[in-house]
Amino acid sequence: MYKAKKLISLFLVIGMAITMVAGCGSKDNAATSSVAATSSVVATSSVAAETTKALDPVELKWYVIGNGQPKDMDAVLGKVNEWLQPKINATLKLNVFTWGDDYEQKMGAKVASGEEYDIAFTANWALNYLQNAPKGAFVDLTPMLDQYAPKTKALLGDKVIKGASINGKLFAIPTNKEMAHNWGFLINKDMAAKYAIDVTTIKKFDDIEPYLKIIKEKEGANGVEPFQSVVGESAYRLLDFEKMVDDNVPGAIYGDGRDTKVVNDFDTPEAKALFTTLNKWSKAGYIRKDADTITDFSSNRKAGKVFSAMASLKPGKDAEESVSSGINWVQVDLTPARATTREMTGSMQAISTSSKNPERALMFLELFNTEPELCNIINYGIEGTHYKKINDTTIEITQAGKDGYAPGTQWMFGNQFNTYLYSTEDPKKWEKFKTYNDSSVASPIIGFTFDTESVKTKVAALTGIKKQFMPGLETGKADPAVALPKFTEKLKAAGLDEVIVEMQKQVDTFLATK
Amino acid sequence: MSRNDSLETMNSVSPFWNGLFNILFTIYSIVCIVPLLLVVGVSFSDEKSIITGGYNFIPKVFSLEAYKWVFKSGDTIVRAYGLSIMITIVGTLCSVAIISMFSYVISRKDFKYRNVFSFIVFFTMILNGGMVPWYKVYTNLLHINNTLLAYIVPSLVNAWYVMIMRTFFQTNVPDSIIESARIDGAGEFRTFLKIVMPLAKPGLATIALFQTLGFWNEWYLPLMLIEDSKLYNLQYILYKTLNAIQYLSQASNVSGGTAEILAKLPSETARMAMCVLAIGPIILAYPFFQKYFIKGLTVGAVKG
Repeated sequence: MYKAKKLISLFLVIGMAITMVAGCGSKDNAATSSVAATSSVVATSSVAAETTKALDPVELKWYVIGNGQPKDMDAVLGKVNEWLQPKINATLKLNVFTWGDDYEQKMGAKVASGEEYDIAFTANWALNYLQNAPKGAFVDLTPMLDQYAPKTKALLGDKVIKGASINGKLFAIPTNKEMAHNWGFLINKDMAAKYAIDVTTIKKFDDIEPYLKIIKEKEGANGVEPFQSVVGESAYRLLDFEKMVDDNVPGAIYGDGRDTKVVNDFDTPEAKALFTTLNKWSKAGYIRKDADTITDFSSNRKAGKVFSAMASLKPGKDAEESVSSGINWVQVDLTPARATTREMTGSMQAISTSSKNPERALMFLELFNTEPELCNIINYGIEGTHYKKINDTTIEITQAGKDGYAPGTQWMFGNQFNTYLYSTEDPKKWEKFKTYNDSSVASPIIGFTFDTESVKTKVAALTGIKKQFMPGLETGKADPAVALPKFTEKLKAAGLDEVIVEMQKQVDTFLATK
Repeated sequence: MSRNDSLETMNSVSPFWNGLFNILFTIYSIVCIVPLLLVVGVSFSDEKSIITGGYNFIPKVFSLEAYKWVFKSGDTIVRAYGLSIMITIVGTLCSVAIISMFSYVISRKDFKYRNVFSFIVFFTMILNGGMVPWYKVYTNLLHINNTLLAYIVPSLVNAWYVMIMRTFFQTNVPDSIIESARIDGAGEFRTFLKIVMPLAKPGLATIALFQTLGFWNEWYLPLMLIEDSKLYNLQYILYKTLNAIQYLSQASNVSGGTAEILAKLPSETARMAMCVLAIGPIILAYPFFQKYFIKGLTVGAVKG
C-alpha cells in the first residue's frame, strides 16, 4: 500500500516535471518563431520601403474618455478599418473609458508602467497633459508634423500650436473646435418670457439685479434660485483672470491682456466689488443661503429651479444646454472672447512614447483631422443604421444610434468643423465658430505653463486657505469687508508673496524667450 | 435548573444596562437600515417626482421604470450580474481551498520550514512592491489583465486570513488527533479533508464569508486591470457610474457640455435600482454563514 502510494506520487512528480518542461519548450518555440516572423517582416518591409514605400499592417490602440464603450463599437470600427486600411494599412482599436477614475486610473497605470499603446486623449482636465507631457509620456510631435501631418499643421494654425506647446514642443494634436471662451449669463428663457424680462437689456453684470428681484418675489416661494452661484461654479469666473496654476491658487494676470503683471486676483478692486455685490444679493435672497456648501450645480438647473447662472460661453451654448437639460436657455454674453492656454489644451490626442508606430499614429490623426468621412464615422457611426442624413450637412440620430453608438463627444474627435450638425442645431454653427475664433484675442502669455515644483508646498498651503475662505466669498455668504482682509492676511502668512514673485519670474522668462 | 439560573445571573448585566444597551443597539440598527429602505423607496419612484419633490421612503408616484431600464439596458447589467455571481463563487471556493491548505501546512509543528513560509506570508503584510510593479506583474508577466482571472488571482491568498487560519488550526486541531489519524492509516490528504477540515468549519466559514464579500464588492481590480466593458462586474459598473456623475457635476473644465453628458448617464432612480439589485444575493450569504460565524469570531480569543 505504502509503496504503491510512493510510486503514484513519483509518477505525479515526473508527470508535472514533464509538462513543465514541455510548456517551456513550446513557449521557446513560439518565441523563436515569432522572432523569425518579425525579422522576416522587417526584412521585407525595408526592401519594400526602398521600392514602393509600402507600409506593414499595424494595429493602432487608441484610448479616449467618454460614456464607456458603445455597444456597436465593433461594427463601427469595421467600417473605419474598411476605409482606413487601403490608405495607411492600419486598423484602429478604439476603447472608450468612462469619465473620472475609470479613465484616469487606467491611463495612469499604463503611463506609469510603460504599457504599449498608440494614442490617448489628453487635456488639462483629463490624463493631465501639462503634467504627463513633460514627464515623457507622449511623443514630441514638433519634428514630425511637416512630414506626416502638414495639413493638420496648417489647419490648426500658429496660434493654436503655440498655445498647446510646452516649452516650444507640441506633444499632442488639439481638436479643431472653438478655441476661445467668454463669460456671461445663462438665463431660463421661459421664466424670462413669463415675467416679460427683456434679456437684451442686460449689458453688464449688475444689470440683471432688478430682474432677480422680480424672480425672488414671484418664484421665490417655489424654491427658484434667482441667481445660481455655488462653490466652484460661481460668478467669480466672470472676472476672467488668467490663472497661473488653477482656480484654487491665487496668482493671475488680468484677462483683458492689459499687462503681464502677476497679482493676487482674490484681492483686486474688481474682486472686492464683485464680492460686495454678491453679498448684497445673498442678503436679499437672490442667492440661496446654503450655497457655500453646494458644489452640484446641474440638478437644480435640470429641475427648472434656476433663473440665471454664470457660464462659460461659446456660440450656440444656449441651444446645446437647452437640448441636454430640457430647459430652454438663452445666453447673454458679458465678456469678449479670449484665447488662452486652457482652450488650446482643452481637448487633444497624444501619441504615447510606448507606441511602436508613432509615425503611423500621426498619419492616422492627419486623416482624422482632414477627411470628413472618417471623422463622421467615428463621431456618428454608420449612415443608415446610426443616423439618417437630412441633407448634406445635417443628420438625425436614429433610435439604433441612440442605443448602439452615440459617443456625443464631437469636441473630442478630430475636426469639429467637418462633422455633421443635428437637425436641431443652428445650420450656421461652424461659420459662427470660425468668426468667434477669429475674433478672439490671444492672451499675451499663450503657451505658458507655470512649473509649481519650486513652490510646491506653498501652493498646497495656499490651496487649503482658498478652500476655507473662497466658498463664503464667491457665494455672497461672507461679508468681504470682514473676510477679505483676513483671507489676504492668511495667504500672505502662507507665503503668497514668494509664490507671486516666482510666478512673475517664470512669466518674464517665458516672455523674454518668446 | 438552579445551576443554570446562577450561571445566567452571573453572566447577565443589570436590567438598567441591559435596557440601555438594547435601546442603543436599536437606534444603531435603525440608523443602518433606514438609508437602505430609502434606497429601495427611491428605486421604485418616478424620476420626475424625485427631481421636484426629493427623496421619499414611500414613493409619491410609484414606478417600475428604473427596473425596466436596468433590464432593458440590454445584456450589460444582466451580464455583469452573472459575472459577479460567478466570480464570487469560483473565487471564494478557490481562495478558501488555497488559504486553508497553505495555513494547515504552516500550522503543523512537524513541518520543518513552517517558519520560513510563515515569514514569507507575514512579510507581504508589512511591505509590498507598490502599484506599478503590482500592475506590471499582472499585465506583463502573468498576462491576466482583461480576463476573468484578473478578478480572482490577485485576491486568492490573503496574508491576514492565512494567519487567522494558522492560529485556528493550531488551537482547534490537537496534534493528537492528527497523530491518531495517521496511526489509523490515513494519508496526509485524507487527514486534512476528513479530520482537519470538519474541525475547522467555524474558521473556514469566517474567512469564506469575508472572501465572498470581498469578491462580490470588488471594484478596484476591474478599475486597474479590465479594459473590455463586456467583462465588467456589477460593482464596478456602479462605481464608475457614480464616479463619473460626481466628476462631471464638479469639473467645470470638461470641454463639452457636461449637462449633455450627464443626461445620458443612468437616472437617479436607475442607480438606486442597481444598488438594490447589488445588495440582493449577498444578503443571502449572511444567514448561510451565520451559525459558524459567531463561533468563528472567537478565533484568536483565549481557548479553554
